[in-house]
Amino acid sequence: MSVTQHISYDALNSLKEVMEDDFNFLIETFLHDSEDRLGKLHELLGGDDVDAIRRASHSFKGSCSNLGALRLASLCAALERKAFDRNIADLAVDLAEIEEEFLIVKQIMLDFLAH
Amino acid sequence: MNDLRSLKILVADDTDTDRLILETIVRKEGHQVFSAKNGLEAVAIFQQEHPDIVLLDALMPEMDGFDAARQIKNLAGDELVPIIFLTSLQDTDSLVHCLDAGGDDFLSKPYNRVILKAKIKSFNRMRGLHNTMITQRDQLAQHHQRLLQEQAVAKQVFDNVAHSGCLNASNVRYFLSSLAVFNGDVVVAGIRPNGNMMVLLGDFTGHGLPAAIGAMPLASTFYGMVNKGFSMSDVLCEINKKLKTILPIGLFCCATMIDFNFRRKRIKVWNGGLPAGMIYRHLDRSVIPLRSTHLPLGVLPEKSFKDDVQLYDLDEGDRIFMWSDGIHEARNPAGDMYGEERLLEVLAQANEPAIIFDEILTSVKNFIGSGEQDDDLSMIEIRMDAPEHLQHPNHYFVHQQQQLPVEWELRFEVKPTSFKSFDPLSFLLNILTEEPDLRSFSGSLYTILAELYSNALEHGVLGLSGDIKKSPEGFAEYYAQREKLLNEIATGFVHIYFAYSSNIDGGSLTLRVEDSGAGFDYSALQGKPLSTIGYSGRGIGIVEKLCKTVRYYGSGNKVEVVFAWVNDD
Amino acid sequence: MAITSTVSADGNQVTIYIQGRFDFSSHQEFRNAYEKLTKAPSRFRVDLQGTSYLDSSALGMLLLLRDHAGGERADIDIVNCSQDVKKILLISNFEQLFSIQ
Repeated sequence: MSVTQHISYDALNSLKEVMEDDFNFLIETFLHDSEDRLGKLHELLGGDDVDAIRRASHSFKGSCSNLGALRLASLCAALERKAFDRNIADLAVDLAEIEEEFLIVKQIMLDFLAH
Repeated sequence: MNDLRSLKILVADDTDTDRLILETIVRKEGHQVFSAKNGLEAVAIFQQEHPDIVLLDALMPEMDGFDAARQIKNLAGDELVPIIFLTSLQDTDSLVHCLDAGGDDFLSKPYNRVILKAKIKSFNRMRGLHNTMITQRDQLAQHHQRLLQEQAVAKQVFDNVAHSGCLNASNVRYFLSSLAVFNGDVVVAGIRPNGNMMVLLGDFTGHGLPAAIGAMPLASTFYGMVNKGFSMSDVLCEINKKLKTILPIGLFCCATMIDFNFRRKRIKVWNGGLPAGMIYRHLDRSVIPLRSTHLPLGVLPEKSFKDDVQLYDLDEGDRIFMWSDGIHEARNPAGDMYGEERLLEVLAQANEPAIIFDEILTSVKNFIGSGEQDDDLSMIEIRMDAPEHLQHPNHYFVHQQQQLPVEWELRFEVKPTSFKSFDPLSFLLNILTEEPDLRSFSGSLYTILAELYSNALEHGVLGLSGDIKKSPEGFAEYYAQREKLLNEIATGFVHIYFAYSSNIDGGSLTLRVEDSGAGFDYSALQGKPLSTIGYSGRGIGIVEKLCKTVRYYGSGNKVEVVFAWVNDD
Repeated sequence: MAITSTVSADGNQVTIYIQGRFDFSSHQEFRNAYEKLTKAPSRFRVDLQGTSYLDSSALGMLLLLRDHAGGERADIDIVNCSQDVKKILLISNFEQLFSIQ
């Protein structure tokens, strides 16, 4: 899988252009928020509040799409869809896939900041 | 409002990164940004800062975007505050939910700077249009409010003029809706010095101010003349003349005027263009229509105006109804007009004359029902009553005083120095026609005065003989000699004496003219028929026909005539 | 007081207008209106629309016009009389000599 399937560099570049000095802060905030969100999703999966799962994944999806994390956004969208349909089978598998993807995105973003 | 203006934009999103991106984009477009992390904060900031546009995330803690949108729209009132929902919600229900809550548009993630810019620009333009519309709406409302106030003031002024008469006399009932006033309806009623009541109901053509404005000169002319005792035909002629002069072509006044003589139980009716009024005779319950026989007021020039009236002898308790076409043209929901037949039906069914007035109004209002409420109704009822029964709060009927006679005398002399230059005829005629009773006889009075004065001057003072006028050349010669003699005259006089006497039933004017001439043998004149041939000698015959008596005195240099009239008002 | 007159295009009819009081003071103007024409008209109209009053000298002037126009054969309409003016004309039996409208 090529890097561009995980991240839209166009999106990152245009964000960098818009945010200027705040760009680093934006990425750091995103990475930090995302870790919080993943922790929150873990907690929710232990319970039975599918609506909360739906909202959390919806919100995560939005911020991922804004940051150009295309695959992560679509994984969140899939989770949101399942929660919306009240389909709770294999949610842990979906979350594991999201966590895996997040680690990839995190590495790409940190590399992007380093350059 | 131009595109360059810096707007105040509220951004509400609980996701820090999303909010941070949006804040930065909006700020870079040159706008002032206010941020909120949830719906509660958004509403609080909105109240404090009154932002122009609100960007609102749908799903937020504390208070979600839907509730916040509803509260913000509520707080904004008339003002258009566009709310753009920031959402990647895809399902139809959620989108409908956003719109129901007051959302105007959506912005989906990832945010696109170009699209956001275009949306802000477009909504700002819409706000501009909306503000213009609101401003115009408010102006319109203000104008309307002012119009209503002006109408109320105008109605007040109008009422003051119209009600200076006797509309609240004990034998009068009237109904004049305020809209009717502004559709040009006018009702005036006044008492003449002889105790007669004069009533005029008019309906000016057209609507609104142009129609209403003619009522003022009509009312002031009416009251000015009625109070001074002018006859109905004088009042009508004068109003017609005034309206003809001031109203533009096509604007005129349909009117019915009635003169009530309570002493003789008689009315005089003139109707020019109004729907027929009705006399309700209570003894046999018959109804007599008072149909229009004339053109409306303000149409014909003075000379062609017709003032002939219809006379009706009534009984005490008979009632006269007048109305403008507002009643006839009142429509029911089906669009049918009330019409005269329904009016006649109400009169035919009436059992109690005293409540016919109410029955008619009720009938018309019931007929209109839920139909268009034009409220353009004018109606007046006058009851024939005994003079001693009539009452009016600020105007007492003068039946006790009406026998009081008017008498005066006037002596007038034209000196020889002024025979050539001074024409006493217009001068004296103006004095005579100040008497209302004499006004309608001005033509006859002029001729009488002219004949007596020219006889006194030409045959008496100047000694000219009418015989000269037997040929066309003689006619010219006569006036050439007259001119010549007037230039030379240094002595002589013409005395003119008037004795006026009038009362409720009529009166007389005695006119005596005496000159300094030699007189003539008047015995030869007596019984001589009025000549129809020859260019002269006709004058005194005309005077004899116009006057009750013509007598000569002395050597024939003194003549006395009596002009008499009977008051049939 | 003013006397004016108009002649029809074919010269056959003259109309004389009298404003204000109709009396001897205008007899010369009145005669000029019908005597000084290049072609003798066959029809005459006297328009009294603007006439307020008249006296017997005006009646004399109307008779002068009638004799000038052929006496018994004269074709003269007196038009637009007010009630007052008409009354004087009728008292003098002028309806037998003129067509009065």
